[in-house]
Amino acid sequence: MAANEDSGSFSKTSSESGNDLPIFSAENLQCNLKVIYYSRTFLSIIGGVIAGILGLTGLMGFVVYFLIMALTSLGLAAKAKFSINSYFDYWNRIVFEGFLGGLMSFVLFWTFAYDIVHIF
Amino acid sequence: MVGAAEEIQLNRLESQVEHGGGGAWEYLCLVRKLKVRRSEKVLKYGLAILKDPKKRSKLGGEEWTLYEQVSLAAMDCQRLDVAKECINTLQKKFPSSLRVGRLEGMFLEAKGSWADAEKAYSRLLEENPLDQAIHKRKIAMAKAQGNVSSAIELLNKYLETFMADHEAWRELAELYVSLQMYKQAAFCYEELILCQPTIPLYHLAYADVLYTLGGLENLQAAKKYYASTIDLTGGKNVRALYGVCLCSVAINQLSKGRNKEEKDSPDLHSLAAKALVKDYKQRAPTKVSLLTTTLQNMKLLS
Amino acid sequence: MADDLVLDTAIRDWVLIPLSVVMVLIGVLRYFVSKLMRTTQVPDAKVVREGQVVLRARNLRAAANFIPAKSFRSRRVYYGNEENGLLHVPKGQAQNAQAQMLSDPNMAMDMMKKNLSMIIPQTLTFAWVNFFFSGFVAAKIPFPLTQRFRSMLQNGIDLSTVDVSYVSSRSWYFLNLFGLRGLFSLILGEENAMDDTQRMMQMGGFGFDASKSLSAEKDSLDIVQHDWALPRLEQRAEAVLRKLVK
Repeated sequence: MAANEDSGSFSKTSSESGNDLPIFSAENLQCNLKVIYYSRTFLSIIGGVIAGILGLTGLMGFVVYFLIMALTSLGLAAKAKFSINSYFDYWNRIVFEGFLGGLMSFVLFWTFAYDIVHIF
Repeated sequence: MVGAAEEIQLNRLESQVEHGGGGAWEYLCLVRKLKVRRSEKVLKYGLAILKDPKKRSKLGGEEWTLYEQVSLAAMDCQRLDVAKECINTLQKKFPSSLRVGRLEGMFLEAKGSWADAEKAYSRLLEENPLDQAIHKRKIAMAKAQGNVSSAIELLNKYLETFMADHEAWRELAELYVSLQMYKQAAFCYEELILCQPTIPLYHLAYADVLYTLGGLENLQAAKKYYASTIDLTGGKNVRALYGVCLCSVAINQLSKGRNKEEKDSPDLHSLAAKALVKDYKQRAPTKVSLLTTTLQNMKLLS
Repeated sequence: MADDLVLDTAIRDWVLIPLSVVMVLIGVLRYFVSKLMRTTQVPDAKVVREGQVVLRARNLRAAANFIPAKSFRSRRVYYGNEENGLLHVPKGQAQNAQAQMLSDPNMAMDMMKKNLSMIIPQTLTFAWVNFFFSGFVAAKIPFPLTQRFRSMLQNGIDLSTVDVSYVSSRSWYFLNLFGLRGLFSLILGEENAMDDTQRMMQMGGFGFDASKSLSAEKDSLDIVQHDWALPRLEQRAEAVLRKLVK
């Protein structure tokens, strides 16, 4: 799981162009949010496939999802050099943005991989 | 707006192309994307590609974009023969295209036959009354003929419909400044700041206009906008530093008689003066003495 | 409860995987088709103007703190006054906007094209799934669910004894429909992010109602508190310079 996380964060944030004002340049903010959204989606798909291949069921899968999301948040925060406020208007953006959308993808790919590998 | 990183990339590509390292097409693409004006180079390299049938056919559909780009560059360099050729080729390919029609209008403009160009644009506008580029061409034409007031009039009419077009606001502001209509210019700059509040250029220009308008209130505002420019540029803008100094001197003179009820940020101007001195020491050491005497005369530097 | 239902591997090879692959391919295809069908319709001058007014007012609201209070107030009056303010919509005009939009054939045509590009492939795939794969238990979700989800997940199977976590092929289709959005936004870029569900919502409101957004913008402009940011920026500038001089 750790290796996957690394590969994920590599493709994650290439263009986090921030600005250091209390005022936000809307474009940059939008761009940053998009980066979050993409990394979330990407990691949830990868995580879903891995959880499926490992054959996790029930609560374990969701625990993995939360773990991945937490790691993503941490990674994003690290990418923003822990000064989240200079990249986003609210710090909780990093935690919640794209969370539910990612869940949908996660469940789908988890099911898909699990079914292919295990139930037949 | 061309970012610093993009400009570096552009210059690198340009020198690479110049030394025969290839990548001409990438260079042309970048020029087009950044909308910079390097007509001579574009003409030279673009034409080289167009003249080589093998290279040209490699572009596929992008070929026509290149024709357009080269013809524009040719007009800019007054190579009207080249421009005509390109436009003719495009005309054959796209007989009823608005974009080609626009090019033809611009060709007439470049030839200097204003009346014909005007007619061509009017005809195009009848079909597409909302084509922004043609409206802008008409405005530019008025300006090129030296008819600033009619350019302003047209621009105002244009902005009535396309009022979120910040480039037009900027043009209008500059036109007003050139006519010394500072109040109107100030309005335009306010509009620009509203549109893009993080661009220091607009803050600076607005401050300039306010300073020129004069009056205590305007001067104080001007100083604030110079200060915000400093903030946005990280103190690297010399004009803003000077602006702060000049504003505080002017404010001091104006409010000498009155009690200084509002003595906000007393350090700002002296800090600005110090920053200026430091900057001069780094970049133009010979002129430091000049600067220090000036600043001392303004009683900003002890 | 038949807990360990044995599924044929052929189902995996010929139902589960093809279904998902086809869904992805159709999504990609639809993206390109809609890109091709996108027309540049000539907008009405009034519509353009209204859009621009809204944009400008939004800018004013967002960046109000950057201009002096006097300028802000005059602009607010300019936008919102009851006689000829830019954002003011006369009463009678508001209602017939909808009717006008319905009668405009261009608009309706465009709308139809957009919806067609969405509905046709979906109906076709749904019909295809129904025809070939109806009645299969195609997949099993790896977590337990309550009985209420039965109608959602076992659409097309009328057995009440099968465990709820088994998914019928038709429901697998629906799961794909919603879950693949993330994948599409990754492989097709951002334009696709606004997708079916959002478009469906828009359809409910039938397009963009200019007068409504104008008055909404006016209301939100009315409650903006102006608080000039420049004095604060001055202090920040001071800090910047102090750092620079040091």
